Amino acid sequence: MKKVFIVMLLVLAFVVPMFAQGAQEAKKAEIDKTAPVTIVFWTHEDAARQKLEDQWMKEFMEAHPNVKIEVARYNAEGLRQNMQTAYAAGNGPTVWNLPIENSREYIENGLVAPVDYSIVGFKNADDMRAQYADGMIDAVYKDGNFYGVPLELTNWCIFLDKEVFRLAGLDPEKDYPKTWEDMVAVSKKIVKRDGDIITRRGFDFRYSYSLTYFVPMVEQLGGSLSEKDGCVNEEAWVKALTFMKNWGPSGENLGNSTLTAPRKLFNKHNLDIAMANTGLYQESRIATENPTFFNSGDWMVVPYPVFKDAVKNVAGCYYGHYYHVNSEATDLQQYWGWELIKYFLLTPGHAELYLTNVGLIQPLKTLMNGDVYKSMPYSEVFSSDFARAHIVYCGKGSAAIQSAIDTAINNVMLQGVDPKQAYKDLQKTVLEILND
Amino acid sequence: MKSKVKTYSIERKQARYGFAFTLPCLLFFAFFSFYPIINAFITSLTNRRAIGRTWEFIGFENYAYLFTKENGGFSLMNSLRATGMFTLGCFIPMVVVSLLLAVLIMQLRKPGHKKFFELSYYIPAVLSSVVAATIWRIMFQPTGLINQMSNFIMFTTGKDYKWLTDNGMLMASTIIVYFWKYIGYFAILFITGLASIPPTIYEAAIVDGSSRWHTFWKITLPLLKPTVMLVSIMAMLQCLKTFSTQYMFVVGGTARKPIDVITMNIFYTGIRNGYLGRASAMSIVLFFIMLFFTYFQFATQKGGDDVEY
Amino acid sequence: MNNSYVGKVKAGEVITYIFLILIVAFVILPILFMLVASFMDARQIMAMPFRWIPSKDYFSSPTRTFFTNFIKAIRGNNNNNIFFRSMLNSLVVAITCAVTTVFFSALCGYGLAKFKFKGRNVVFMAIMSTMMIPFEAIMIPLYMVSKMLGIMNTLPGLIIPFAISAFGVFQMRQYLLTFPSEYLDASRVDGLGEFNIFLRIVLPNSTPVIATLGILSFRNQWDNLLWPMLCAQAEKLKTLPLYISGFAEEKQTDEGALMACALLASIPMFILFFTLSKYFLGGAAVFESRKG
Repeated sequence: MKKVFIVMLLVLAFVVPMFAQGAQEAKKAEIDKTAPVTIVFWTHEDAARQKLEDQWMKEFMEAHPNVKIEVARYNAEGLRQNMQTAYAAGNGPTVWNLPIENSREYIENGLVAPVDYSIVGFKNADDMRAQYADGMIDAVYKDGNFYGVPLELTNWCIFLDKEVFRLAGLDPEKDYPKTWEDMVAVSKKIVKRDGDIITRRGFDFRYSYSLTYFVPMVEQLGGSLSEKDGCVNEEAWVKALTFMKNWGPSGENLGNSTLTAPRKLFNKHNLDIAMANTGLYQESRIATENPTFFNSGDWMVVPYPVFKDAVKNVAGCYYGHYYHVNSEATDLQQYWGWELIKYFLLTPGHAELYLTNVGLIQPLKTLMNGDVYKSMPYSEVFSSDFARAHIVYCGKGSAAIQSAIDTAINNVMLQGVDPKQAYKDLQKTVLEILND
Repeated sequence: MKSKVKTYSIERKQARYGFAFTLPCLLFFAFFSFYPIINAFITSLTNRRAIGRTWEFIGFENYAYLFTKENGGFSLMNSLRATGMFTLGCFIPMVVVSLLLAVLIMQLRKPGHKKFFELSYYIPAVLSSVVAATIWRIMFQPTGLINQMSNFIMFTTGKDYKWLTDNGMLMASTIIVYFWKYIGYFAILFITGLASIPPTIYEAAIVDGSSRWHTFWKITLPLLKPTVMLVSIMAMLQCLKTFSTQYMFVVGGTARKPIDVITMNIFYTGIRNGYLGRASAMSIVLFFIMLFFTYFQFATQKGGDDVEY
Repeated sequence: MNNSYVGKVKAGEVITYIFLILIVAFVILPILFMLVASFMDARQIMAMPFRWIPSKDYFSSPTRTFFTNFIKAIRGNNNNNIFFRSMLNSLVVAITCAVTTVFFSALCGYGLAKFKFKGRNVVFMAIMSTMMIPFEAIMIPLYMVSKMLGIMNTLPGLIIPFAISAFGVFQMRQYLLTFPSEYLDASRVDGLGEFNIFLRIVLPNSTPVIATLGILSFRNQWDNLLWPMLCAQAEKLKTLPLYISGFAEEKQTDEGALMACALLASIPMFILFFTLSKYFLGGAAVFESRKG
């Protein structure tokens, strides 16, 4: 009995993984493009984009009756988790997107197919590169090929509620913060508290995205985050961490990570927040959620601040979402996957719809130099910040490094840890992640 | 001789049925428990990553790593500490208070009142963890209800008690949520235990003139001892497995480290960051911890055969 | 009894009641908060001081009516109106799991309690040991099994991995150990088959433990978040915990709608609780069985 039992388990333990991996490995041959095929498409939730893409998928399936698209939408965290698990089980979706700092890893591991230029409509890699703004698609480039087509490249500037400024006796056009030191000064004038409890904030950070907003601040002071040496230039990191400490409850008490996210409060225009750090897409969200505020002209967008004694003029990093095709999908699925991506992104007029309806910027030269982009309010602010920014760190261990930096910021802001000590712990952790 | 053969065959037939009855369950567990567990153990000996396509056996390196390294700032040691603090901070007050509630409720004379208190205390256990954590997270905001009440009780004004931001307070907050959710549940368990004590013993004690306190201390408690042991160990095991509350808090924006209980670390290391080998090793560690307490439970249970659940 | 003794008892009783009522207040407060807040807008919920009884104009500003939050909660993030669909899914999953858990656990527990066969203890211990493994640890292998069985992203996929609980087996076995064997033997003499004995004699005479076990597994599935997160990819498969956590992320700033959503999602459980309170309070269930 016991033996039978053990044998049964062992058989199970070895058979199941074989099943899990066996299915693929048919070599590239002629594929029958009219054969019935199911494409699994995973993406993050976004109401405005969903509306567009649902329509397009319907059109696509009508035009190609043999293709069935199964879509699943998750919130950001859920998507990341499910991608990991699905790929772990050899069951990744056909077409998907993740923030580049997460998807880069999939490219490195060979789980993403190189762009099929002929389907998508480019001659070759160089031709594709030429269609996009400089450097904006380098993040999906590896060994002579591109591994994804950009859905959006986003940088965050500062959205500003003019009315809150005026209420605090400030002139938004003149007094908007140009430096981080200004940011503190302005926020001190705007902030309202009941005792220690903040009830109105001037500005607050987008905590938990430290690679995007915090690393550029370090770089302004001369430091950097490198895949080889971790957190380079102790002095710069400590200075930036000290700034955060000073921002938090143990310093000037201007904000912290557990209060409501500023970008979500901003649209309400109920005078609880003056400034939020967010991307162009915020405009379409304001327009949907609060059209009165959107049309009132009571808001504006200003560039990402720089420290007064900065040694480098860097804006907040930009990050990207690219549509990828799973290299483990069947050839037929891959073929239709690229067709779908082409239909979504590169059908004439779609890029403009993504921009006007969702606020997403595909870094196509034609789009960014076109009239539609120019007609978006404050798009020139975003363009000029793009020019002095670079893509977010997406090298080894980016997710783990981001949470390590978050912990360091949390420690100095809320737990009273000395910035020097916080830096030491951070560097130790980051090096360990990099050497893993 | 003949009859012996006959009983033997009946026994055999019976045995076959017994096994047949357990077979569906066995098959089920083979697929959905044993295989995953074995798979987890084998994986814990590899350096497998979720999105890696090749991996190799590295012996017990994952275990060595977990006990010596930082694991990206969220070490196993920190998790063991967080889990330990949570478990101690939660199950001791929970057992003490729920026992007290049970004893007090049992002494009420009006059955209607008894029923009212039992129902009221049990209500939070009915809510799903997601709902519970969502309600409390809103109440714990600096401008929220709990902070206002803290100020009222402590005679302060405008003080931020940092229910969600201070490391210690954050831990306390998760304990409060859990305590709130399960206090009634365990009180009911104790009531069931108390109900099995024959009322004649109480009556005898009261006729003797012993005070209530004395009755409780000298009569009820010793009789309850097996139940108390059983329930506390079960409460403890449940605390060791806590996940939802902490997860909902972290997703809602609190710091992870102070409440990074071991199940959450497994989840983040394995599912979120894709270190399958390492996460599996962590699971095995948790498995042994729980095994230890379960063994402990069975050992203590032997003393109280009359306790039945 | 003299007066002072009665007085003492009275005083003790008063103190008892005060204490018990204080705890009731602590337990009920968050639920009352949920109830009141589900009618308010975010600023009122976070107002200092918080007002339990909102003034009338809270409900009827030009942009709000009494039910604004509930309508938002039902409409969902993308106005996709899947709230009731999610509730239905949750009910189907939870009820099916309750039924299968009871049936198979009883069957297995019966086999373990009333039959002697070789390896019985091994089987029992093996099943018990599965309770020690946290669900987070076996998620990925479980995913692989489900994929192999072709139940990923289907309703059975949400149900089958939780169709039997080890704790259920344990509980059933403990209960049936005390089941009078004479009963069974008598039925055998009457010529009833073994399976029929189980169906007609054992099951009908185990109602209390069946009810408690059924409720427990219903509750566990009602509460399950992690597995549906992985398994329910299509929108039409989402369960309530998934719906709420998705809603919570999107509507972070709309605490009122969030509380309305939480309240609506709790209603089926409340109904169940108040109609079956006898079994809820029966108390045989101790362990939380496997859940996410």
